[in-house]
Amino acid sequence: MTSRRLAVVGLAVAATVGLLAGCSPSGGDASGSADGELPSGQTLTVWTFGATGLEDSMEAWADETGNTVEIKTSEFDPHHEQLLTALASGSVPDVALVETGYSSLFKPSAPYFVDLRDYGADDDLQGDFLDWRWEQGVGPDGQVFGLPTDVGGLALAYRTDLFEAAGLPSDSAGVEGLWSSWEDFVTVGEQYKAATGKPFLDDAGLFFQTVYNQGEEKFYADEDTLVYDSNPQVQEAWDLATSAKDISANLAAFSPEWNTAMANGDYAVQLAPAWMMNYIQGQAPDTTGKWNVVTLPEGGGNWGGSQMTIPKAAKNPELAYDMLTTILSPENQLEVFQEFGNFPSTPELFTDEALTGFTSEFFSGAPVGQIYSDSVLALKPVYEGPKERAILREFGLGIDRVESGEETPDEAWDSTMAAIELELSSK
Amino acid sequence: MATIADPRQRTKRRIPIVPYLYIAPFFIVFGLFGLFPLAYTAFISLFEWNPIGEKTFIGLDNYAFLVADPRFWNAAGNTLSIWFLSTVPQLAFALVLAAVLNQALLRFKTGFRMAVLVPNITSVLAVGIVFTQLFGRDYGMVNTVIEFFGGDRIDWVRETFAGQVAISTMIMWRWTGYNALIYLAAMQSIPRSLYESAEIDGAGRIRQFFSVTIPQVRPTIIFTAIVSTIGGLQVFAEPLIFGGQGGVTGGQSRQYQTLALFLYEQGFRNLDFGYGSAIAWALFLIIVVLTVVNLGLSSRIASEDARPAPLRGIRSRRGPIERRSTAERRSTTRKEVAR
Repeated sequence: MTSRRLAVVGLAVAATVGLLAGCSPSGGDASGSADGELPSGQTLTVWTFGATGLEDSMEAWADETGNTVEIKTSEFDPHHEQLLTALASGSVPDVALVETGYSSLFKPSAPYFVDLRDYGADDDLQGDFLDWRWEQGVGPDGQVFGLPTDVGGLALAYRTDLFEAAGLPSDSAGVEGLWSSWEDFVTVGEQYKAATGKPFLDDAGLFFQTVYNQGEEKFYADEDTLVYDSNPQVQEAWDLATSAKDISANLAAFSPEWNTAMANGDYAVQLAPAWMMNYIQGQAPDTTGKWNVVTLPEGGGNWGGSQMTIPKAAKNPELAYDMLTTILSPENQLEVFQEFGNFPSTPELFTDEALTGFTSEFFSGAPVGQIYSDSVLALKPVYEGPKERAILREFGLGIDRVESGEETPDEAWDSTMAAIELELSSK
Repeated sequence: MATIADPRQRTKRRIPIVPYLYIAPFFIVFGLFGLFPLAYTAFISLFEWNPIGEKTFIGLDNYAFLVADPRFWNAAGNTLSIWFLSTVPQLAFALVLAAVLNQALLRFKTGFRMAVLVPNITSVLAVGIVFTQLFGRDYGMVNTVIEFFGGDRIDWVRETFAGQVAISTMIMWRWTGYNALIYLAAMQSIPRSLYESAEIDGAGRIRQFFSVTIPQVRPTIIFTAIVSTIGGLQVFAEPLIFGGQGGVTGGQSRQYQTLALFLYEQGFRNLDFGYGSAIAWALFLIIVVLTVVNLGLSSRIASEDARPAPLRGIRSRRGPIERRSTAERRSTTRKEVAR
């Protein structure tokens, strides 16, 4: 009872703040920020995870408008946990990032965020973004609670020098010719392993995630229908990943060991969404020109992308909205792509020469602009359910058990199904 | 009657209030930050509770689910085995370390004493990160050393026993020095004459350690054992960091997921506050039970300590040392009194 009353009071406060913000004079128009209509000398707090590639743009916006931004970066999962507890308690940042895998978890809480339609986001901005990306930031009652940042897209990064050493073709056309399906890909991996004695892949779990990301359906058909145990795409991803057990280095993604192996060239292939390009450059700066990027076997796919949200209880929602429209504008997203590799979610750029013609020196001059825009255009929007992350985690653990030799693929499938059931049944 | 009774009653009334006022701050703070969260957690555990979503009263369902949840029992088992793996060697090392620091001939005493406390004030996060690197499978220093001596590389993160050992090492590294300082304080209150008479009896350093030092600091050992039990049951950060991306489940088959980590996974990662609270209460009860058991055991040991004869196995050898030392102590006292 008390808690409910507390929640009601919290909501009321939040709603009032939101209303006040919505009523303010400059609420509707946010593009002409520099002419002094907006407050200056304010501090915007921003919560993010990982590298959004937008940090510099935020600083630049702050300098221009005479404000300051305070960016707090956390680990991926903890970031979302903190945001959720912050929403419940009311001590929120001005801007918070929500990743697409978490979007469906946050969707029912859309009322806790500023409805960006109050600022005219639906009329002014919606047309700039990919439809399915825009939808990921729309709540059950049509509230626009988030603006899309980048799109993941998917491609394959590989080490040209290591391919050469294994007697495989190393130019992109030759490599793409090596496989027409994922089965071929695994076969090439086995050849590589036989020739060099070294693992081909970093992690079978990431392999699973890539193939799973290529489907039209993931773990949910819709909000109420779970298909994780019957979806053929998941089954295929599982079979491929477990069959790659012996060509995988079995390194947990984003672990220190993974980073070292990436820099050392201890595996040859890296499944890479666009944002991963920046990660590789950061972790393996001495390998310039030794990498190349090619398209994936079996079509496009997506991994990653986020929504920028403004919590209702934010102190400066109006200012936050101005910042978001600035840093997420197509021009700025193009700049971010050129500098950090995060791929834009604004399709008008997909035909822009500055993007399609963009090549990366680090990746042997690969036409990464073209590759990622092809990948993004080829992919289908997919529904992600509220327990998406939890189910994916159990699949990842199951594949880990196969990789470490603890269980056979069949045993691991059964134990994974049991674990997911337990996960879904806990109340 | 009334005239006599009145002032007495007044004083009776006045006296109790003031002392209660003096101690009130503690109880207020304890009530706010100790009792209230405890009660509120119990309240939440009766609900299906999402922090910003629905809250439904489900009675004891969370507890029923908990008792049937294999993950809970797995976590409880892991917690106990990590606690055992870390506490036993840790207290043994601490005793030896304290004995060394207590040597009269040791130089730079203060420096060493401060040094042993350094691991304890280091951030657990930093410790976790460094140790995770040390215990890396491919590039970790520990495996490099093992390989140098002809052993096989160990996959610390994915093997059950190896992982628990690695985590215990982190805990030991942080807490050995802390316990050593507590032991050192206890050792310094042991009368030097005991050692002197032991020496006269021909006891070497090691003999003195086992026959004089350990019996004398026994109550302190009991204290540290209880404190380590409470701490050990709450181990959280070490396995979380050690497991990397899979840290919240404590490895691919939950092989080093502790109770605190399981609580975190359910409460904060799955946002199941009701179930998380039920786990928290179960953990609380386990700690209470183990502490009571510990207290019972230790009061037994303590009373054994009070008996004139020491532990049975070495009674005959230790007898004379103890007796003489008592005599020696008496003579010193007399001398001092005479002065």
